[in-house]
Amino acid sequence: MSEPAASPPTKPRLVVGIDLGTTNSLAAIRAGKGARVLRDRDGEPLVPSMVCFHPDGRVLVGREAKALRLELPDRTVFSVKRLIGRSASEVAAEARRLPYRVVAGERDLPRIRIGDTAWSPEAISARVLQQVKTTAEQALGQPVQAAVVTVPAWFDDAQRQATKDAAALAGLDCLRILNEPTAAALAYGIDGTQDGTVLVYDLGGGTFDVSILRIEDGVFRVLATAGDTHLGGDDFDLLLADRILAALPKATAKPPVDDPFVLQSVRSAAEGLKIRLSDATEAELQLDLGPRGTATLRVTRAEFEGAIAPLVQRTLDCVQRAVKDAGLRLEQIDDVVLVGGSTRVPLVRERLRQLTGKPPHTEVDPDLAVALGASIQADVLAGNDRSLLLLDVIPLSLGIETLGGATQKLILRNSTIPTSVTEEFSTGVDDQTAVDLAGYQGERELAQDCRLLGRFKLRGIPPMPAGLPRIAVTFLVDVDGVLRVTAREQRTGAEAGIQIVPTFGLSRDEVRRMMLDSIEHAQQDYAAREAIDVRNKAAAMVRGTQKALALAELPPDQTYAVHKAVKALDRLLAGSADAAALKAGCDELTKVTATIADDVISSAVTKALREEEGR
Amino acid sequence: MIHVPAPDPFTVFGMPRSLDLDERQLETRYLRLSRECHPDQHRNTDAGDCIAVLQRSAEINDAWKVLRDPWQRARALLELLSPGALDRNKKLDPMFLGEALELAEAVAGAHGDRIAPLRTRLEAAVAADYDALRQDLRRGDHDAAARRIHMSHYHKKALLDLDAKS
Repeated sequence: MSEPAASPPTKPRLVVGIDLGTTNSLAAIRAGKGARVLRDRDGEPLVPSMVCFHPDGRVLVGREAKALRLELPDRTVFSVKRLIGRSASEVAAEARRLPYRVVAGERDLPRIRIGDTAWSPEAISARVLQQVKTTAEQALGQPVQAAVVTVPAWFDDAQRQATKDAAALAGLDCLRILNEPTAAALAYGIDGTQDGTVLVYDLGGGTFDVSILRIEDGVFRVLATAGDTHLGGDDFDLLLADRILAALPKATAKPPVDDPFVLQSVRSAAEGLKIRLSDATEAELQLDLGPRGTATLRVTRAEFEGAIAPLVQRTLDCVQRAVKDAGLRLEQIDDVVLVGGSTRVPLVRERLRQLTGKPPHTEVDPDLAVALGASIQADVLAGNDRSLLLLDVIPLSLGIETLGGATQKLILRNSTIPTSVTEEFSTGVDDQTAVDLAGYQGERELAQDCRLLGRFKLRGIPPMPAGLPRIAVTFLVDVDGVLRVTAREQRTGAEAGIQIVPTFGLSRDEVRRMMLDSIEHAQQDYAAREAIDVRNKAAAMVRGTQKALALAELPPDQTYAVHKAVKALDRLLAGSADAAALKAGCDELTKVTATIADDVISSAVTKALREEEGR
Repeated sequence: MIHVPAPDPFTVFGMPRSLDLDERQLETRYLRLSRECHPDQHRNTDAGDCIAVLQRSAEINDAWKVLRDPWQRARALLELLSPGALDRNKKLDPMFLGEALELAEAVAGAHGDRIAPLRTRLEAAVAADYDALRQDLRRGDHDAAARRIHMSHYHKKALLDLDAKS
């Protein structure tokens, strides 16, 4: 049955799903009954979530950045998802283990310091998102303006808001912040025709999530979610990294933890060891750090498993809590789905199978499942598919501080969103025109143990005797899991002014300013990039033409003309000519060589250029 | 801070004001209402991000939360039938409170083999509370129903404490 068209039919909107991961990011698009990931020219879908600020002014993202992480360890930023939406003091401990510098900025927000510039985690994530956007646009051959971006289910309000800000900075209209395990469940039950109860176990690079979903008649309903924003494959790496560090000679010039090169090399080596131990029962590592010493290490899978067992147990505790919160018993779970690269670790699979009594599903590549699922929800939000409906939950309770520093929970965790609650507040003294409220998120009883989301200042209350104003404040958690607060004075009906001061992340003004800046920067970045490209092109032309000149037998006047043009370009290269001058020199050389009858030279130039572009 | 009650969940769902609702029918209704009103289904209209759509969807979710839980459903029903009854009937029979105290002590001291029989006993007590509540409502004795709801809290709390031990 078709619906009567309410408006003229519009072209299906192009909305991609983006998995913004701790280690890798990627985009996918709905295609027919399924979904497909979007790959770059080399067929690679994963964009490493890394940004390298090269001393020459270039900003490299993804694989190009990853290639430089050993060369420029203190200028290559990664794992920023662990910092986003949090305070500098909260992330201090792990920031010490990162090879780049994390400092406390204003309002105790973490800032990544590269040279003289301090970058917000949002700005770094935006760079990664831009790269993913570009890859997607190249794969699709058309611009991408809107996306569904995924976050760990366990992300709180501040972390979600910060991710939305990063998307805005990247020039993306973020239609939805979607929970990763929910997205993965979508990837497994694409058309939603298979009814049942699914447990999604998502162990990524930096975060762990578990969600219990009920699928029924195309409605994907999250019953409960639990997790740990600070538990992932990186932690497995760190345990191995500690062993490698211990195996290094003690007499290195400075303590290894203060040496970004050593730290990054050891981290990379640890990751490699971990991956090998997924297939082999034993792995050997020989790490050569040049003058900083060498380390030889043999690790058995049993040793590795012994080290990570407590971390794996922590994930299983979360699984049990989620099942309980869903009002279910483990036997009532029909299917177990694995997501996230770290679920390749055999111990993880084995322990989960023991707990649930079910062999976990691994049909969908754990690295791709989240993006694939996000693209399905993207298609729904684009208005192209009405058969699916997702009902998600808020992961952590929301409350406000009451007298004495206790919290009063207004919205309990695992409530289906959107959800709202309205409470009435009054004044304590005569003619009071403002009331301050502090919003918290977390399960603990005392405000000091929960995360302060922000302060809500009710303004413009009409002057009245104490207790007379009745200000109804509505706390509404929207479909992104983000809190919206509105207030109304009941007697006068006046909309009370409400000002929200976020504790974490960026204020609305900052986001606006950064967006303006980023447009400016984008131009600068593009110019810097272009200058380098032109320089490389000119050098290739000079080399190619000189080689061809030696081989070709040309009349002297032509040899002279070509030689002159090559010399001129070479001089420009040796000096500090700008991009425009170099480009003019290249054009001149092309013109001269093009007139030559003998095509040896022009084809040599073309060949040199093709090689340069192919690099 | 005063709690402002949400819209009456029975009306939101278009269900009769009754304690005994067909759970299957309730769930089907919830899924249908969600399909009709969820903001995701309104993306292409101007109302896409409208607060009213969010508010309506929130009402449905919040009503579902109340209706699917038998005890929350009972509270909502009683509040509709006799507003304020729960607040007026907080004083409970000292005899009952004495028994409740003994139960709490039994739970605190329970360990090993003693836990399972205690759980069975508490579960039976909660079920009996609900049956009695149903009788109270049928007789139209709203004050007794309110007291019954308060009494059941002691049994439910004891069960929770017992769960926390195992």
